Amino acid sequence: MNNLKILLHITKKRSVFVVATLFFLSIVLSSLSVLSSSSFFAPVVSAQAVKEAPAAGVELPQFDPAQAPAAAQGTESSAGTTTAAVEEEEVGPVQYRTFFGLDSRVVVWIVSELHLMFAAFVLGVPIFAVIVEIVGYKGGDIKFDKMAKEFTKLLSAAFATTASLGGLLGFCLYGLYPEFMGHMTNVFAPTMYVYALMFFGEAFSLYGYYYSWDILKGTPAKKWSHITLGVMLNLFGTGLMFITNSWATYMMSPAGIVPATGKVVSLYAAVYNLLWMPVNLHRLIANVCFGGFIVGAYAAVKFLGSKTAEERAHYDWMGYVGNFIGIGALIPLPFAGYWLGREVYSASPVMGNIMMGGAFSWTFIIQAILIGMLFIGANYYLWLGMGRIKGSERYTGYIKFLVLIIFMCFAVWLTPHNLPLSGEERAMIGEQYHPFSKYFGVMAAKNAVVNLIILATFFSFLIYRRCNKGETVPFSEQGKSGKIGVMSAVIFCLLMLVSYAVSLSFVELEADMKVFVKPLIRCLYIQSGMICFAAFLTFKSKGKLAQSLLFAVTALMAVLYFWYYGFQVMQKANVVLRYLSVTQVAMVMSCLIMNAFIDIFTFRKAKLIGGIVWGKMPVRSQYALIMLCVVIVILMGLMGFIRSGLRMDWHIYGVLQDTSPWAYTPTLAYMGRIVGLIVALFLGLVAFVFWLAGLGDKKSKAHEGGYDDAISGGDH
Amino acid sequence: MNKSMLKITAFAVAIIGFYIYITVYVAGLSGTGGGESAGGVNPEAGEKVFWGDGQCSTCHKIGTSGSASRGPDQDGLASRAEERAKELGMPTGLDYLVESMVEPEKYIVKGYDKIMPKVYDPPIMLSREKILAVIAYLQSLGGEPDIGAIMKYKDKIPEASKKKVKPWVPPVVVDAKEGEKVFFDDTRPVTCGKCHVVNGKGKKVGPELTGIGAIQTAEYFLESILKPSAKIVKGYETMFVITTDGIPYNGLIKSETDQELVLLQEESGSMEEVVIPKSDIAEMKKQDVSIMPGNIGELLSVRDFYGIVSFLQSLK
Repeated sequence: MNNLKILLHITKKRSVFVVATLFFLSIVLSSLSVLSSSSFFAPVVSAQAVKEAPAAGVELPQFDPAQAPAAAQGTESSAGTTTAAVEEEEVGPVQYRTFFGLDSRVVVWIVSELHLMFAAFVLGVPIFAVIVEIVGYKGGDIKFDKMAKEFTKLLSAAFATTASLGGLLGFCLYGLYPEFMGHMTNVFAPTMYVYALMFFGEAFSLYGYYYSWDILKGTPAKKWSHITLGVMLNLFGTGLMFITNSWATYMMSPAGIVPATGKVVSLYAAVYNLLWMPVNLHRLIANVCFGGFIVGAYAAVKFLGSKTAEERAHYDWMGYVGNFIGIGALIPLPFAGYWLGREVYSASPVMGNIMMGGAFSWTFIIQAILIGMLFIGANYYLWLGMGRIKGSERYTGYIKFLVLIIFMCFAVWLTPHNLPLSGEERAMIGEQYHPFSKYFGVMAAKNAVVNLIILATFFSFLIYRRCNKGETVPFSEQGKSGKIGVMSAVIFCLLMLVSYAVSLSFVELEADMKVFVKPLIRCLYIQSGMICFAAFLTFKSKGKLAQSLLFAVTALMAVLYFWYYGFQVMQKANVVLRYLSVTQVAMVMSCLIMNAFIDIFTFRKAKLIGGIVWGKMPVRSQYALIMLCVVIVILMGLMGFIRSGLRMDWHIYGVLQDTSPWAYTPTLAYMGRIVGLIVALFLGLVAFVFWLAGLGDKKSKAHEGGYDDAISGGDH
Repeated sequence: MNKSMLKITAFAVAIIGFYIYITVYVAGLSGTGGGESAGGVNPEAGEKVFWGDGQCSTCHKIGTSGSASRGPDQDGLASRAEERAKELGMPTGLDYLVESMVEPEKYIVKGYDKIMPKVYDPPIMLSREKILAVIAYLQSLGGEPDIGAIMKYKDKIPEASKKKVKPWVPPVVVDAKEGEKVFFDDTRPVTCGKCHVVNGKGKKVGPELTGIGAIQTAEYFLESILKPSAKIVKGYETMFVITTDGIPYNGLIKSETDQELVLLQEESGSMEEVVIPKSDIAEMKKQDVSIMPGNIGELLSVRDFYGIVSFLQSLK
């Protein structure tokens, strides 16, 4: 140990190269020890070495001997170290740099958002591609396979752009925020090597997946091998995202370190910090949604430029599939978002208040507008899509009610709790908040309408599905698969509802609070009973009645009753609100899952009134798809700003302060301009990448055309 | 570029433009204007700071909004500021508001403790503009804000400190999560959670401690646990009551009406409510001894003690 200290002391004075070498070696050693160890704890020696031998220009958090009896703890804080600290001060470690005189924060903001957007595309589209490939293979429909391949080709080009932007982001961060990155490297060095290795894995599996497409087909074994490659691509991609999420969430809810020294106590705790899993889940679902809507927009652009009916039909179908996957992921997204928000509160109530009641509360009004646009756009596309299906006339009457419900919900969602009132207005009203609007601005109301929008969107999808379906066959004719399918849904829903009801019975609360939990438990049991009753009706060939009853009971309890009860809870037992929200989610999810299964097995083998005329879509439907894509990109930019901005003037919340000149929260107007610029840049780059990827096709088509002409010319 | 691509580009640009318009519009609506910095100087921006970044609401309430009682209720502050200014020989109430932000310990209202931090210093570190916005908001409470006059005091407000916060380090290695467990551990003879609420958990007998780490130091927590009577949070002083029958009661006032007084009194480790008709009260006196047990330090191991302090520090 003494030798190591002497060596480190010399390296600080003499050679940056040796420092860097030692730094590298220590990280390699620590990453090797991580790999060889069953536990995921950072070795103290390597962390200490990193702390004591910072790279040039990187000031690592210094341990202050005056703050605690460090010697008693065995911490290395001898006089020698103090001298070294003084010497470092003389050198003048750099905390911040500017980007050729530009605002460093804006540079990092733009580059990181662009990188994240491309990464979302690169992570979301493979999930989409593999699902589509499996569906195509199982259904024997070649057009699914073609579409999956078409998107994987786009991925290859986007992947290189993502990597380039990632490199640029890394250089920007290390160059512009050296102290902050010193801290991050100190904590996360081992994971950075794992990240690099997984990046290789993703690159190899992506290119393997794409280039082996035609080779690995013909036999089931070959096709499944190819699908396995696609699954591996997704696993590597998801792993990469999880690693980077641990870095980002650590900045919000740091764990596993001694704040004063930056000493890593547990790398596992730093990675698995409080917000890690909620962000992982939220981003995973959001990426699928993002991928779906990007595919939809790509199809829409191609549709609008189509010259033949065949092309239009192909791209219309592609747009439908993209929108379907986008909506499919959009429906559970608010639930994941709610969990994330709740955990932000758990991580820091101050951060939670800043988010929902402080500086960032208005950003959620903008978020509500964007999410409202997504839901309205996706529903609008479905309603327009009914026009290409014979027999849809029977259901078009529902649309006006759905429009009404969605817009009303949207209005409630938009209502802020704390509408800014002037002193005069306050005096007139006599209280802090508006006496009417305040009831629509609170969480109970917002949760209720979000659930109602989700139920309404799902209803839109169900009526779309059954547009061309006529008379259904008795359930007994659905065979074993029908019974197994419906019973599986029942078991899954009951497990979810009953297990949560039981867990609520044992929740640790004071007796006067616990009484507020009892209605939740009762509702969960009623919903469980309804699930069983719906299954019973389905078995009796009354699936449509079962669906209607399930919708009605869920809407009555999860939306109307909990809207009212939410107010009671907020006033008398606020701590119960979190259980109420989860109960709502569980009930709505059970309704969606059960109704989906009933729908599948009620309408399977039903008489077809007419086919779907692919390509028979109005132009405005394609603009709806484009709007969905642009809006989800904007939403991603906005949410990135919120997540990052919640730390206020901290690089790492409560641990490492941001003392740069840019340590203030920009106004919404400024944020809007920057996010708008980022979105325009991203869409422009995506269009460019797609154009590049399409060049090869044009060339080969031209070549084939020329070759054909030559052959036909020769024939003549 | 063909015609359809031009239309698509125009459509996408229109959506982005609409988004930018919405953000500018909402920025105006929320009182943050279209400027480049946080919020601007106006009562609406100040209100947000008061209830948000400024952490003011941890200690102050405004009428029926908020429930904190560590500091004075700020309802109608503008007119009181004028009175205080006259008493202190200052030209205007605005001078008083500014001075009490710059040097809070010099202008402590009688009956309250010296607990207000300098909001431009760590850990709150409000920018100059935000402090001015808060002053505008405080002026609007019972008066009319005068932004022009406020801006003249700009140079009197110190710039937010860029000093780094050096977190307190406990002398033994402890985990805040373990401290949280001890805080709410019902199996112990004395549990903090029986009297203090943190994030909705616990009982509200003593002051709520949600977000306390953002405004108080570790030294304050150490003292409050070891010597609870050294600083008693306003509104949580123990009341000594003797009834006409000579029965003594010692506890916290939970509620008080013209007819009755409800006291929270400690009974074998838990807090029980005692309702005393006002007509039965012979004597009632505020005491300078906290109801919080003074021997908590003895009931905790060193690790548990510092664990609780670490947990309280983490409540930011």
